[in-house]
Amino acid sequence: MTLLRAKDLTKRFVARGPLGAKAGFTAVDRVSFDVRLGETLAVVGESGSGKSTTARMIAKLLEPSEGTLEFEGEDVTHAKGAALARFRGNVQVVFQDPFSSLNPRHTVERILMAPLVYQGIAPNGGRRAHAKELMERVGLNPDHSLRYPAQFSGGQAQRIGIARALAVNPRLVICDEAVSALDVSVQAQVIELLRRLQRESGFSYVFIAHDLAVVRQIAQRVAVMSKGRIVELGTTGQVFDDPQDEYTRTLLAAIPRIDPEWERRRREKI
Amino acid sequence: MSELLVVEDLTVTFPTTRGPVDVVKDVSFTVGRDETVGIVGESGSGKSMTSLAIMGLLPRGATTRGSIRLDGTEVLGASARELRRLRGDRMSMIFQDPLSSLNPYYTVGLQIEELYRAHRGGSRAAAREVVTGALRQVGLPDPERRARHYPHQFSGGQRQRIMIAMALVCSPSLLIADEPTTALDVTVQAQILRLLADLRGQSGMGMVFITHDLAVISSIATRVLVMRRGEQVEYGTAEQVFAEPRHDYTRMLLDSIPRIDDPLDEVSA
Repeated sequence: MTLLRAKDLTKRFVARGPLGAKAGFTAVDRVSFDVRLGETLAVVGESGSGKSTTARMIAKLLEPSEGTLEFEGEDVTHAKGAALARFRGNVQVVFQDPFSSLNPRHTVERILMAPLVYQGIAPNGGRRAHAKELMERVGLNPDHSLRYPAQFSGGQAQRIGIARALAVNPRLVICDEAVSALDVSVQAQVIELLRRLQRESGFSYVFIAHDLAVVRQIAQRVAVMSKGRIVELGTTGQVFDDPQDEYTRTLLAAIPRIDPEWERRRREKI
Repeated sequence: MSELLVVEDLTVTFPTTRGPVDVVKDVSFTVGRDETVGIVGESGSGKSMTSLAIMGLLPRGATTRGSIRLDGTEVLGASARELRRLRGDRMSMIFQDPLSSLNPYYTVGLQIEELYRAHRGGSRAAAREVVTGALRQVGLPDPERRARHYPHQFSGGQRQRIMIAMALVCSPSLLIADEPTTALDVTVQAQILRLLADLRGQSGMGMVFITHDLAVISSIATRVLVMRRGEQVEYGTAEQVFAEPRHDYTRMLLDSIPRIDDPLDEVSA
């Protein structure tokens, strides 16, 4: 079942030169894809590929210049008011830098209750208890609910960001470089957490990333973007093992790898 | 192999309100001429503090113990004047963010020229020629013209090439590269890694390459030092560290790397 459908999404930015001359720049150029219920679709690309602009359009944080966005069959391209609030109740975002996306003056409890207040949801047992449950689900100690974001490590803060996204029980979570800023050991834990949460709740992810190795660990399908366009879209196995596009091949070849012979010997030792 | 850099029992201590804290503890390693030693670790491991100690660039308040010798010259405790003479000439450093290391108000050519003349003197015209050569060596197209451009007129990868040109203009015997490719796209990273390996090979200098990325280290270093919370947990040839890690922490780090080929437990489509 298709949850979200992006059709010919286009974003043009207009820059004004010193003499008032306009120069257009097409950041995203007629991008189309479906997100199916329960799957993880990764959107990968290098800087300037348009992947973040695409993420912001499907999160409805940015209005597309052209194209349409459908959620569960409903056209939400220009959704406002109640329709937009309903969309936000279904689609949530986890950002790259937890410290700049969490209010430093709010306690974790207040941060986790905010989406419920906005959506007018009153869970059984109250919002406070719900916030504590969320903390437990993402592996944080619920006794720390009155602490502030600065009192947590980077990995823990990202768990708060994930918990906030899950607060309204969304059907789609957009992760915009959600694990890019983390140390490798912490990153592995957060990836595992994201996978477990999906197994438990059955929602979909759109996973925006520049790191293809991370994408391989989490996505069933991959869209590769370059210069504002999707150059290749297929299952993770297809794209990684049998890439059709020249740019995808370049990207894959550029990834630094540990000598497979060394890897084999290390694994045998264990 | 004659040793170019010898670091012995290096300890770096910072005073804090809760007493002194060792951010680097008893770290020892050597760098030979014509080799690359990688220092790898997660944030807070002390890898950058180690490199700043070598360059004599530690923040005010830091105290050091141990010994750092470059070509037999003790660097720890050297005077500011002596350090200024060494830096940029016999040892150079490149950083993660070239834009914050370049002055936005001066052309890149002038900045490299200034560094060169501070160490080697000579006329502007002669220095300009050296600068053009250095920019050509790092693969910057049209170097005569590009030397007259300002930092913001270059892409991230080009700026890192400019930083490398600046670091190598006096032909140092030691280059310290601190996360030089971390901020770059993966295709650009591959180009810069190749460039660094080529230039190091041609010049026969020693290189210390610092990164959090184990796969990057494995592709460029002959020997590897793994750090954690200021301590040296493992030190050996790249092959030893990657194929037969002795320490649990190294094994954990290696297990954490997401695999691009041969994913251990790939999600089913």
